[in-house]
Amino acid sequence: MNNKVVISGMGVVTAIGDTVESFWDSNLQGKSGLRLENRMDLAALPCGWVTSVIPDEIKSSIKERWGQSNRAWGDILMHASVSQALDDAGFNGDLKRPAGLTWARVWPGPSGSFPQDYIDFIKRAGERHAAVGSEPGDVVAHHLRAKQEMEIEASDLSAFPTELSAKLGVPLIASRLDATCAGGIRALVEAARLIKIGKVDFAVVAAVVSRTNHYTLSQYAQLMALSRWKNPPSQASMPFDKRRSGMVISESSGAIVVESAEHARARGVKEVHAEIGGWGLAVDTVHLTAPNIEMVERAMRTALNRSNLTPDDIDMVNAHGTSTRLNDITEAKALHRVFGERMKDLDVCAVKSLTGHGSAASGILETVISALTLCRGIIPPVVTCTQPDPECNVKTSLTPVRRPISTVLKNSFGFGGQYASMVFKRPENPRP
Amino acid sequence: MDRIVISGAALLSAAGTGAAPVFDAMVSGTHFFDRQQEGKRSLHEKFPWPEASLNDPDVPWPEGSAWVDIKKYANASAHQAVAVARMAVEQSGVPDEINGLRCGTVVASGNRVDELSPIIGKLGILAQTDPRPLAKLLYDEIPDYSYLRGIPCQSGQFICLATGFRGSNVAVYGEAGAGGLGALAFAMRLIQSGELDRVMVAGVGIPISPAMLVAFDRNDPLGTESNPGRGPFDIGRAGTLLGHGAVAVIIENDELATARGAPRLARLLACETINFNSRTTALDFATRAVLDEAGRRPDMWWAHGAGSVLMDLMECQTVRPLVDAPTTSSKGTIGNTFESSGLIDLVLAIESLKRGEVPPVGLLEKPDPALGEVDFVVKTSRRLGSDARAALVTALDQRVAAAGAAIIASVET
Repeated sequence: MNNKVVISGMGVVTAIGDTVESFWDSNLQGKSGLRLENRMDLAALPCGWVTSVIPDEIKSSIKERWGQSNRAWGDILMHASVSQALDDAGFNGDLKRPAGLTWARVWPGPSGSFPQDYIDFIKRAGERHAAVGSEPGDVVAHHLRAKQEMEIEASDLSAFPTELSAKLGVPLIASRLDATCAGGIRALVEAARLIKIGKVDFAVVAAVVSRTNHYTLSQYAQLMALSRWKNPPSQASMPFDKRRSGMVISESSGAIVVESAEHARARGVKEVHAEIGGWGLAVDTVHLTAPNIEMVERAMRTALNRSNLTPDDIDMVNAHGTSTRLNDITEAKALHRVFGERMKDLDVCAVKSLTGHGSAASGILETVISALTLCRGIIPPVVTCTQPDPECNVKTSLTPVRRPISTVLKNSFGFGGQYASMVFKRPENPRP
Repeated sequence: MDRIVISGAALLSAAGTGAAPVFDAMVSGTHFFDRQQEGKRSLHEKFPWPEASLNDPDVPWPEGSAWVDIKKYANASAHQAVAVARMAVEQSGVPDEINGLRCGTVVASGNRVDELSPIIGKLGILAQTDPRPLAKLLYDEIPDYSYLRGIPCQSGQFICLATGFRGSNVAVYGEAGAGGLGALAFAMRLIQSGELDRVMVAGVGIPISPAMLVAFDRNDPLGTESNPGRGPFDIGRAGTLLGHGAVAVIIENDELATARGAPRLARLLACETINFNSRTTALDFATRAVLDEAGRRPDMWWAHGAGSVLMDLMECQTVRPLVDAPTTSSKGTIGNTFESSGLIDLVLAIESLKRGEVPPVGLLEKPDPALGEVDFVVKTSRRLGSDARAALVTALDQRVAAAGAAIIASVET
């Protein structure tokens, strides 16, 4: 477990940037990807009028480049972000040993962020029911008779690991994992673990979510988890603001290349984005959806301990910050427990203020921002936190904060009692 | 690295509870496919494929106040996962006072099972005439919490509650996990890295949606007959036979298991799953990797043995050059349980080493000569030599180029 692990490549596809640089610029400028969701009639829902989706022109160019037949949209987005990350890492096909792949593709249901696809799906389901009913044997017989492409509901199967293996030219030790919204950081943890125990020298971490459709919004509305903000959409996700009312569902994809520092050096990589420190994991068994302050505290303290750091050593926090009432107050209280008086001066950043919540993909996108913060010494603003919640009492800024940053603590939590924290350190030779 | 032992194992299959009923059925040539069993209810009467179904798929939910309110978040998969996890803990004798933060759960998950499958057609009909916008209609009509019940790692949270294993919970999808061995390899790394001391690895092969089954069938035909001569490796095999099952295995640091006097059912010498450009290359790499890591040849091979024309051929042609040992498979007896199959086979291999006996392959009458010189165990059990200690278990993914392999050994080794 002594191998130092570094981030040598990064790629993103988001509503506010389809490259790492454009995504970073948007974060610094406070450019929001949130918009009024006018593709669906959501007025009757108790929430959920605002979403964050990748612009159509970006989707078109990505689909043209990566949209092979039968490839699910989630996989297309992952190919786009992974390709960026490999290019960024200077990957040139020079791997000598098996590589790692840890990835999370949040099940999109029977369509991704394409409401018309969902309408078509449910229309076909109705037609099928009218023709043969819904008894499983009859449905099977119907599908067996049909000559058309398989129903999209079977598309959660993915050839992504095999395709990536072909691209890298080596076998992959691959794990598609689910740790709900902590899944991005968990994937990063497991890639780092593969390297630290010497199984691989080089690994790709990828996460994608694309599920902005009638079904997903109806289900999150049932959970009362979505923002009820009815004013300018760009303000709808407001982590740590006293007016926050819920999260905004996002479509996004992110990828990171991690490798041992020794491996990076050996293949001529001189500058990297970040060094991975320690991490902390925790499981709450008390409640399915409500966050637990003890678990947040435990995950953060474990990450610090395993990084051989104290709270005083942390320069900023890249928060989970979902904009739900409960998450933000719980995370804030746990931060106060860990950092105490330091909270007055400890900068906190919350990327979801601009991107919305991309489940597992958010952990990757926010890691990208954490790494750039370390390299460039700039903390992105939280422009939607214009009325900070005094109960949260965390220090966010409406403008970028420029100062040297050596360490970032990153949090990600999720339904099902999932908690993960990770420390990132400024590398010896940071990428400019 | 620390040595790892298996200290608890439990399974539910069409044969009943535990490894022994499956093993005994294989020895006696019994199988559990619905249509051949008089009086047994077929899970899906109209399916063209026979299934080896659980006798009682409605596994009871734990009692007690902590379990009442959360039952609404649990699907059938969660019920089965909790049941086998509790059985494994009981066998392993994990004391209540363990440090639960040093223990965790890895669940081998299927592709998300959509509990809406039975009702989505009716919703589609309703949507044609109902004045409500579609999102509102779904909001009103879809059963509460169905979205949460479908979260793959949700079963793991319940296992954490049932067992006190609270250090980590993650689900690993079967498509890259080759039937549960991916979850096992993942769990091994959690111990090898020092993150945890003890991990519950659970697999539940839950009913697959009709659309997914047809997708499987189109990719590689599923078996439509469960008669003798239609089993794995037979010249007349014609597709994998469907099965249902749930399994839980506890692996832990050997030193700690020994210190607490835990049952040490077997050593887990090596486990790996690989994705590569084909199943053949993936399996070749995974098998070589575990043989190298284990540092010894196996005395028996518990093969995946899907019963598929192509997969059996590929598996034999790949592994036989590396391993020459008595070979069996469970899928002609309890069917292919998909995500849990690799773990079930691991538990059966433990039973095999314990008994010193390799049971015959169910429904295998005449081995296909095209499969090469594989030492299949046909119709009659084979006694293992007194010095036989290690078993190879292999697992293949049904649709993508992923394969897994594991080597276990008796604790005396």
